[in-house]
Amino acid sequence: MTVGSDVGIFAISLVAGLIGSLAGVGGGIVVIPALTLLFGVDIRLAIGASIVSVIATSSGAAAAYVRDRMTDMRIGMFLELATTSGAVMGALLAAAVAPSFLYVLLGIVLLFSAVQQVLRLGEELPPKTEASPLAARFRLVGSYPDGRLGREVPYAAQRVPLGFALMAGAGVVSGLLGIGSGALKVVAMDGAMRLPMKVSSATSNFMIGVTAAASVGIYLGRGDVDPTIAAPVALGVLAGATVGARILPRLSNRNVRLVFLPVLVVIGLQTLARGLGVGL
Amino acid sequence: MTPDRFRILVSGILIVGVTTSAVLIAAGFVGSLLVGWEGSLSGAAAGTGATTDFGALITDLLAIRPIGLAQAGLVVLIATPVVRVAASVVAFALEGDRLYAAITLAVLAILLTSLVVLR
Repeated sequence: MTVGSDVGIFAISLVAGLIGSLAGVGGGIVVIPALTLLFGVDIRLAIGASIVSVIATSSGAAAAYVRDRMTDMRIGMFLELATTSGAVMGALLAAAVAPSFLYVLLGIVLLFSAVQQVLRLGEELPPKTEASPLAARFRLVGSYPDGRLGREVPYAAQRVPLGFALMAGAGVVSGLLGIGSGALKVVAMDGAMRLPMKVSSATSNFMIGVTAAASVGIYLGRGDVDPTIAAPVALGVLAGATVGARILPRLSNRNVRLVFLPVLVVIGLQTLARGLGVGL
Repeated sequence: MTPDRFRILVSGILIVGVTTSAVLIAAGFVGSLLVGWEGSLSGAAAGTGATTDFGALITDLLAIRPIGLAQAGLVVLIATPVVRVAASVVAFALEGDRLYAAITLAVLAILLTSLVVLR
Protein backbone atom coordinates (compact mmCIF):
# COMPACT_ATOMS: atom_id res chain seq x y z
CA MET A 1 0.00 0.00 0.00
CA THR A 2 1.30 3.44 -0.89
CA VAL A 3 0.60 6.58 1.15
CA GLY A 4 -1.74 7.76 -1.62
CA SER A 5 -3.88 4.66 -1.46
CA ASP A 6 -3.85 4.83 2.36
CA VAL A 7 -5.30 8.34 2.15
CA GLY A 8 -7.85 7.10 -0.41
CA ILE A 9 -8.89 4.18 1.81
CA PHE A 10 -9.18 6.55 4.78
CA ALA A 11 -11.40 8.94 2.82
CA ILE A 12 -13.72 6.23 1.53
CA SER A 13 -13.91 4.65 4.98
CA LEU A 14 -14.90 8.03 6.39
CA VAL A 15 -17.88 8.09 4.02
CA ALA A 16 -18.68 4.46 4.96
CA GLY A 17 -18.64 5.35 8.66
CA LEU A 18 -20.85 8.38 8.07
CA ILE A 19 -23.49 6.50 6.05
CA GLY A 20 -23.27 3.41 8.26
CA SER A 21 -23.78 5.34 11.50
CA LEU A 22 -26.86 7.11 10.09
CA ALA A 23 -28.43 4.03 8.48
CA GLY A 24 -27.66 1.57 11.29
CA VAL A 25 -25.49 -0.64 9.07
CA GLY A 26 -21.80 -1.52 9.23
CA GLY A 27 -20.44 0.07 6.09
CA GLY A 28 -19.34 -3.18 4.42
CA ILE A 29 -21.52 -2.15 1.48
CA VAL A 30 -19.06 0.72 0.80
CA VAL A 31 -15.82 -0.73 2.16
CA ILE A 32 -15.79 -4.12 0.38
CA PRO A 33 -16.41 -2.93 -3.21
CA ALA A 34 -14.12 0.10 -2.75
CA LEU A 35 -11.21 -1.99 -1.46
CA THR A 36 -11.54 -4.70 -4.11
CA LEU A 37 -12.45 -2.58 -7.14
CA LEU A 38 -10.51 0.65 -6.49
CA PHE A 39 -7.51 -0.57 -4.53
CA GLY A 40 -7.11 -4.13 -5.80
CA VAL A 41 -7.34 -5.62 -2.31
CA ASP A 42 -7.97 -9.37 -2.11
CA ILE A 43 -11.68 -10.06 -1.37
CA ARG A 44 -10.74 -12.12 1.70
CA LEU A 45 -8.80 -9.22 3.25
CA ALA A 46 -11.52 -6.78 2.19
CA ILE A 47 -14.11 -8.82 4.12
CA GLY A 48 -11.73 -8.97 7.10
CA ALA A 49 -11.40 -5.18 6.98
CA SER A 50 -15.18 -4.80 6.67
CA ILE A 51 -15.73 -6.76 9.90
CA VAL A 52 -13.38 -4.27 11.58
CA SER A 53 -15.38 -1.48 9.93
CA VAL A 54 -18.64 -2.82 11.41
CA ILE A 55 -17.19 -2.80 14.93
CA ALA A 56 -15.66 0.66 14.39
CA THR A 57 -18.96 2.10 13.09
CA SER A 58 -20.81 0.64 16.05
CA SER A 59 -18.41 1.70 18.80
CA GLY A 60 -17.63 5.06 17.19
CA ALA A 61 -21.27 6.16 17.01
CA ALA A 62 -22.71 4.26 19.99
CA ALA A 63 -20.91 6.39 22.60
CA ALA A 64 -22.92 9.41 21.45
CA TYR A 65 -26.16 7.47 20.72
CA VAL A 66 -26.18 5.93 24.21
CA ARG A 67 -25.42 9.27 25.88
CA ASP A 68 -28.10 11.08 23.84
CA ARG A 69 -30.70 8.33 24.58
CA MET A 70 -31.12 7.47 20.90
CA THR A 71 -30.19 3.83 21.60
CA ASP A 72 -32.64 1.67 23.54
CA MET A 73 -30.23 -0.55 25.45
CA ARG A 74 -32.97 -2.89 26.75
CA ILE A 75 -34.45 -3.52 23.32
CA GLY A 76 -30.92 -3.91 21.95
CA MET A 77 -29.90 -6.43 24.57
CA PHE A 78 -33.22 -8.35 24.34
CA LEU A 79 -32.83 -8.72 20.57
CA GLU A 80 -29.12 -9.45 20.93
CA LEU A 81 -30.20 -12.72 22.58
CA ALA A 82 -31.77 -13.69 19.25
CA THR A 83 -28.93 -12.48 17.00
CA THR A 84 -25.99 -13.93 18.94
CA SER A 85 -27.60 -17.36 19.39
CA GLY A 86 -28.69 -17.24 15.73
CA ALA A 87 -25.11 -16.41 14.70
CA VAL A 88 -23.70 -19.40 16.56
CA MET A 89 -26.35 -21.64 14.97
CA GLY A 90 -25.61 -20.19 11.54
CA ALA A 91 -21.89 -20.80 11.84
CA LEU A 92 -22.52 -24.40 12.90
CA LEU A 93 -24.96 -24.90 10.00
CA ALA A 94 -22.61 -23.33 7.47
CA ALA A 95 -21.45 -26.66 6.08
CA ALA A 96 -24.99 -28.03 5.65
CA VAL A 97 -26.84 -25.21 3.89
CA ALA A 98 -26.33 -23.94 0.33
CA PRO A 99 -25.36 -20.25 0.64
CA SER A 100 -26.75 -19.36 -2.81
CA PHE A 101 -30.30 -20.19 -1.69
CA LEU A 102 -29.86 -18.05 1.41
CA TYR A 103 -28.50 -15.11 -0.53
CA VAL A 104 -31.54 -15.23 -2.83
CA LEU A 105 -33.95 -15.48 0.10
CA LEU A 106 -32.26 -12.64 1.98
CA GLY A 107 -32.12 -10.49 -1.17
CA ILE A 108 -35.87 -10.93 -1.69
CA VAL A 109 -36.64 -10.10 1.96
CA LEU A 110 -34.51 -6.93 1.78
CA LEU A 111 -36.03 -5.74 -1.51
CA PHE A 112 -39.54 -6.47 -0.23
CA SER A 113 -38.66 -4.40 2.85
CA ALA A 114 -37.48 -1.60 0.56
CA VAL A 115 -40.97 -1.43 -0.95
CA GLN A 116 -42.43 -1.19 2.57
CA GLN A 117 -39.95 1.58 3.32
CA VAL A 118 -41.15 3.56 0.30
CA LEU A 119 -44.76 3.22 1.50
CA ARG A 120 -43.71 4.61 4.89
CA LEU A 121 -41.79 7.60 3.53
CA GLY A 122 -44.57 10.03 4.51
CA GLU A 123 -44.68 8.79 8.10
CA GLU A 124 -42.60 10.72 10.67
CA LEU A 125 -43.50 8.58 13.70
CA PRO A 126 -45.18 5.18 14.10
CA PRO A 127 -48.88 5.62 15.02
CA LYS A 128 -49.10 3.22 17.98
CA THR A 129 -47.39 3.80 21.33
CA GLU A 130 -49.38 1.33 23.48
CA ALA A 131 -47.33 -1.63 24.69
CA SER A 132 -48.48 -5.22 24.10
CA PRO A 133 -48.36 -7.47 27.22
CA LEU A 134 -45.15 -9.05 25.97
CA ALA A 135 -43.51 -5.67 25.29
CA ALA A 136 -44.60 -4.52 28.76
CA ARG A 137 -43.25 -7.70 30.37
CA PHE A 138 -39.82 -7.18 28.80
CA ARG A 139 -39.96 -3.38 29.14
CA LEU A 140 -39.56 -2.83 25.42
CA VAL A 141 -40.94 0.67 25.81
CA GLY A 142 -39.28 4.03 26.22
CA SER A 143 -38.89 7.50 24.85
CA TYR A 144 -36.19 9.49 23.13
CA PRO A 145 -35.50 13.24 22.90
CA ASP A 146 -36.15 14.28 19.31
CA GLY A 147 -33.88 17.22 18.42
CA ARG A 148 -35.88 17.92 15.29
CA LEU A 149 -39.37 17.85 16.84
CA GLY A 150 -38.04 19.46 20.02
CA ARG A 151 -39.88 17.09 22.36
CA GLU A 152 -39.69 13.71 24.09
CA VAL A 153 -41.17 11.01 21.81
CA PRO A 154 -42.61 7.88 23.47
CA TYR A 155 -42.57 4.50 21.73
CA ALA A 156 -43.46 0.85 22.42
CA ALA A 157 -42.39 -2.26 20.51
CA GLN A 158 -45.19 -3.96 18.53
CA ARG A 159 -45.24 -7.58 17.22
CA VAL A 160 -42.42 -8.67 19.54
CA PRO A 161 -42.36 -12.37 18.44
CA LEU A 162 -42.04 -11.39 14.77
CA GLY A 163 -39.24 -8.94 15.56
CA PHE A 164 -37.44 -11.54 17.69
CA ALA A 165 -37.76 -14.16 14.92
CA LEU A 166 -36.44 -11.73 12.29
CA MET A 167 -33.52 -10.92 14.57
CA ALA A 168 -32.74 -14.62 15.04
CA GLY A 169 -32.83 -14.90 11.24
CA ALA A 170 -30.47 -11.93 10.98
CA GLY A 171 -28.13 -13.74 13.39
CA VAL A 172 -28.24 -16.99 11.40
CA VAL A 173 -27.50 -15.04 8.23
CA SER A 174 -24.53 -13.32 9.91
CA GLY A 175 -23.11 -16.61 11.09
CA LEU A 176 -23.71 -18.42 7.80
CA LEU A 177 -22.71 -15.77 5.31
CA GLY A 178 -20.30 -13.74 7.40
CA ILE A 179 -22.14 -10.47 6.79
CA GLY A 180 -23.21 -7.95 9.38
CA SER A 181 -26.96 -7.94 8.59
CA GLY A 182 -27.42 -4.42 9.97
CA ALA A 183 -30.01 -3.72 7.27
CA LEU A 184 -32.12 -6.67 8.40
CA LYS A 185 -31.87 -5.44 12.01
CA VAL A 186 -33.19 -2.00 11.08
CA VAL A 187 -36.00 -3.63 9.07
CA ALA A 188 -36.93 -5.83 12.05
CA MET A 189 -37.13 -2.88 14.46
CA ASP A 190 -38.66 -0.32 12.12
CA GLY A 191 -40.85 -2.58 9.99
CA ALA A 192 -41.88 -5.38 12.34
CA MET A 193 -41.67 -3.79 15.78
CA ARG A 194 -42.63 -0.32 14.58
CA LEU A 195 -40.07 1.64 16.57
CA PRO A 196 -39.21 5.18 15.46
CA MET A 197 -36.68 5.17 12.61
CA LYS A 198 -33.95 6.97 14.58
CA VAL A 199 -34.30 4.55 17.52
CA SER A 200 -34.20 1.59 15.08
CA SER A 201 -31.07 2.89 13.40
CA ALA A 202 -29.23 3.80 16.62
CA THR A 203 -30.19 0.50 18.31
CA SER A 204 -29.10 -1.48 15.23
CA ASN A 205 -25.82 0.45 15.35
CA PHE A 206 -25.45 -0.57 19.01
CA MET A 207 -26.12 -4.23 18.16
CA ILE A 208 -24.01 -4.78 15.04
CA GLY A 209 -20.77 -4.31 16.99
CA VAL A 210 -21.69 -7.15 19.34
CA THR A 211 -22.82 -9.44 16.49
CA ALA A 212 -19.60 -8.74 14.57
CA ALA A 213 -17.48 -9.29 17.67
CA ALA A 214 -19.09 -12.74 17.95
CA SER A 215 -17.69 -13.80 14.57
CA VAL A 216 -14.47 -11.79 14.30
CA GLY A 217 -12.50 -14.63 15.92
CA ILE A 218 -12.87 -16.71 12.74
CA TYR A 219 -11.47 -13.94 10.58
CA LEU A 220 -8.54 -13.27 12.92
CA GLY A 221 -7.73 -16.96 13.10
CA ARG A 222 -7.82 -17.37 9.32
CA GLY A 223 -5.45 -14.43 8.86
CA ASP A 224 -8.11 -12.34 7.08
CA VAL A 225 -7.51 -9.20 9.16
CA ASP A 226 -4.51 -7.36 7.70
CA PRO A 227 -3.67 -4.29 9.81
CA THR A 228 -1.98 -2.58 6.86
CA ILE A 229 -5.47 -2.38 5.29
CA ALA A 230 -7.65 -2.48 8.40
CA ALA A 231 -5.75 0.41 10.07
CA PRO A 232 -6.72 3.15 7.58
CA VAL A 233 -10.23 1.61 7.36
CA ALA A 234 -10.69 1.68 11.16
CA LEU A 235 -9.41 5.26 11.50
CA GLY A 236 -11.58 6.53 8.63
CA VAL A 237 -14.72 4.72 9.81
CA LEU A 238 -14.27 5.92 13.41
CA ALA A 239 -13.98 9.52 12.20
CA GLY A 240 -17.03 9.18 9.91
CA ALA A 241 -19.15 7.47 12.58
CA THR A 242 -18.29 10.17 15.13
CA VAL A 243 -19.57 12.83 12.73
CA GLY A 244 -22.67 10.77 11.82
CA ALA A 245 -23.59 10.34 15.48
CA ARG A 246 -23.65 14.12 15.90
CA ILE A 247 -25.94 14.55 12.89
CA LEU A 248 -28.57 11.84 13.50
CA PRO A 249 -30.37 13.37 16.52
CA ARG A 250 -31.06 16.52 14.48
CA LEU A 251 -32.38 14.75 11.38
CA SER A 252 -36.08 13.99 10.94
CA ASN A 253 -37.05 10.31 10.97
CA ARG A 254 -38.10 10.75 7.36
CA ASN A 255 -34.61 11.91 6.34
CA VAL A 256 -32.98 9.01 8.18
CA ARG A 257 -35.27 6.73 6.16
CA LEU A 258 -34.13 8.52 3.00
CA VAL A 259 -30.52 7.65 3.89
CA PHE A 260 -31.44 4.05 4.77
CA LEU A 261 -33.60 3.31 1.72
CA PRO A 262 -30.90 3.45 -1.01
CA VAL A 263 -28.55 1.50 1.27
CA LEU A 264 -31.25 -1.16 1.65
CA VAL A 265 -31.88 -1.34 -2.11
CA VAL A 266 -28.16 -1.66 -2.91
CA ILE A 267 -27.61 -4.35 -0.25
CA GLY A 268 -30.73 -6.19 -1.46
CA LEU A 269 -29.57 -6.15 -5.09
CA GLN A 270 -25.98 -7.12 -4.16
CA THR A 271 -27.25 -10.02 -2.06
CA LEU A 272 -29.68 -11.24 -4.71
CA ALA A 273 -27.03 -10.99 -7.42
CA ARG A 274 -24.58 -12.98 -5.34
CA GLY A 275 -27.19 -15.69 -4.79
CA LEU A 276 -27.92 -15.89 -8.51
CA GLY A 277 -24.21 -15.93 -9.33
CA VAL A 278 -24.35 -12.62 -11.21
CA GLY A 279 -21.33 -10.36 -10.73
CA LEU A 280 -22.26 -6.94 -9.37
CA MET B 1 -27.31 2.66 39.72
CA THR B 2 -29.59 5.21 38.06
CA PRO B 3 -30.36 4.92 34.32
CA ASP B 4 -28.41 8.16 33.76
CA ARG B 5 -25.26 6.82 35.40
CA PHE B 6 -25.72 3.55 33.49
CA ARG B 7 -25.69 5.44 30.20
CA ILE B 8 -22.64 7.47 31.23
CA LEU B 9 -20.83 4.23 32.17
CA VAL B 10 -21.56 2.47 28.85
CA SER B 11 -20.85 5.61 26.85
CA GLY B 12 -17.59 6.11 28.79
CA ILE B 13 -16.42 2.53 28.09
CA LEU B 14 -17.03 3.10 24.39
CA ILE B 15 -15.14 6.41 24.40
CA VAL B 16 -12.15 4.93 26.26
CA GLY B 17 -12.07 1.83 24.00
CA VAL B 18 -12.42 3.79 20.79
CA THR B 19 -9.88 6.46 21.79
CA THR B 20 -7.30 3.91 22.96
CA SER B 21 -7.63 1.87 19.78
CA ALA B 22 -7.56 4.95 17.53
CA VAL B 23 -4.38 6.24 19.23
CA LEU B 24 -2.66 2.84 18.92
CA ILE B 25 -3.70 2.36 15.28
CA ALA B 26 -2.68 5.92 14.38
CA ALA B 27 0.68 5.46 16.14
CA GLY B 28 1.23 2.24 14.19
CA PHE B 29 0.23 3.95 10.99
CA VAL B 30 2.59 6.92 11.48
CA GLY B 31 5.34 4.51 12.59
CA SER B 32 4.87 2.49 9.39
CA LEU B 33 5.62 5.63 7.37
CA LEU B 34 8.89 6.05 9.30
CA VAL B 35 10.30 2.51 9.55
CA GLY B 36 7.83 0.34 7.59
CA TRP B 37 5.17 -1.96 9.15
CA GLU B 38 7.68 -4.62 10.21
CA GLY B 39 10.44 -2.21 11.29
CA SER B 40 11.12 -1.34 14.91
CA LEU B 41 10.85 2.09 16.54
CA SER B 42 13.23 0.99 19.31
CA GLY B 43 15.97 -0.11 16.93
CA ALA B 44 15.31 -3.85 17.31
CA ALA B 45 15.55 -6.14 14.29
CA ALA B 46 12.71 -6.00 11.76
CA GLY B 47 9.94 -8.56 12.19
CA THR B 48 9.58 -11.41 9.75
CA GLY B 49 6.04 -12.71 10.39
CA ALA B 50 3.01 -12.12 8.18
CA THR B 51 1.15 -8.87 8.97
CA THR B 52 -2.01 -10.92 9.50
CA ASP B 53 -0.41 -13.06 12.22
CA PHE B 54 -1.67 -11.81 15.57
CA GLY B 55 0.30 -14.54 17.37
CA ALA B 56 3.45 -12.40 17.37
CA LEU B 57 1.62 -9.44 18.93
CA ILE B 58 3.52 -9.38 22.24
CA THR B 59 6.96 -9.68 20.60
CA ASP B 60 6.06 -6.98 18.09
CA LEU B 61 4.82 -4.70 20.88
CA LEU B 62 8.00 -5.18 22.96
CA ALA B 63 10.11 -4.23 19.92
CA ILE B 64 7.69 -1.29 19.30
CA ARG B 65 6.99 -2.38 15.74
CA PRO B 66 4.26 -0.40 13.93
CA ILE B 67 2.52 -3.66 13.02
CA GLY B 68 2.30 -4.56 16.73
CA LEU B 69 0.85 -1.16 17.63
CA ALA B 70 -1.79 -1.42 14.88
CA GLN B 71 -2.67 -4.99 15.86
CA ALA B 72 -2.99 -4.01 19.52
CA GLY B 73 -5.30 -1.15 18.46
CA LEU B 74 -7.47 -3.56 16.46
CA VAL B 75 -7.63 -5.98 19.40
CA VAL B 76 -8.77 -3.15 21.72
CA LEU B 77 -11.38 -2.13 19.12
CA ILE B 78 -12.70 -5.70 18.85
CA ALA B 79 -12.75 -6.13 22.64
CA THR B 80 -14.74 -2.92 23.21
CA PRO B 81 -18.23 -4.35 22.41
CA VAL B 82 -17.51 -7.39 24.59
CA VAL B 83 -16.41 -5.22 27.53
CA ARG B 84 -19.50 -3.07 26.98
CA VAL B 85 -21.78 -6.12 27.30
CA ALA B 86 -19.91 -7.33 30.40
CA ALA B 87 -20.23 -3.90 32.06
CA SER B 88 -23.95 -3.84 31.20
CA VAL B 89 -24.48 -7.06 33.18
CA VAL B 90 -23.09 -5.36 36.27
CA ALA B 91 -24.94 -2.12 35.59
CA PHE B 92 -28.34 -3.82 35.14
CA ALA B 93 -27.71 -5.76 38.36
CA LEU B 94 -26.83 -2.57 40.26
CA GLU B 95 -29.95 -0.95 38.83
CA GLY B 96 -31.90 -3.82 40.40
CA ASP B 97 -33.14 -5.08 37.02
CA ARG B 98 -32.68 -8.82 37.49
CA LEU B 99 -34.47 -9.74 34.26
CA TYR B 100 -32.09 -7.67 32.14
CA ALA B 101 -29.03 -8.62 34.18
CA ALA B 102 -29.91 -12.24 33.31
CA ILE B 103 -30.63 -11.50 29.63
CA THR B 104 -27.35 -9.59 29.27
CA LEU B 105 -25.45 -12.33 31.07
CA ALA B 106 -26.89 -14.85 28.59
CA VAL B 107 -25.78 -12.64 25.68
CA LEU B 108 -22.29 -12.42 27.19
CA ALA B 109 -22.18 -16.21 27.62
CA ILE B 110 -23.23 -16.78 23.99
CA LEU B 111 -20.70 -14.18 22.84
CA LEU B 112 -17.84 -15.82 24.74
CA THR B 113 -18.96 -19.29 23.57
CA SER B 114 -18.96 -18.06 19.97
CA LEU B 115 -15.43 -16.71 20.34
CA VAL B 116 -14.34 -20.20 21.40
CA VAL B 117 -16.58 -22.28 19.10
CA LEU B 118 -16.33 -20.22 15.92
CA ARG B 119 -12.70 -20.50 15.04
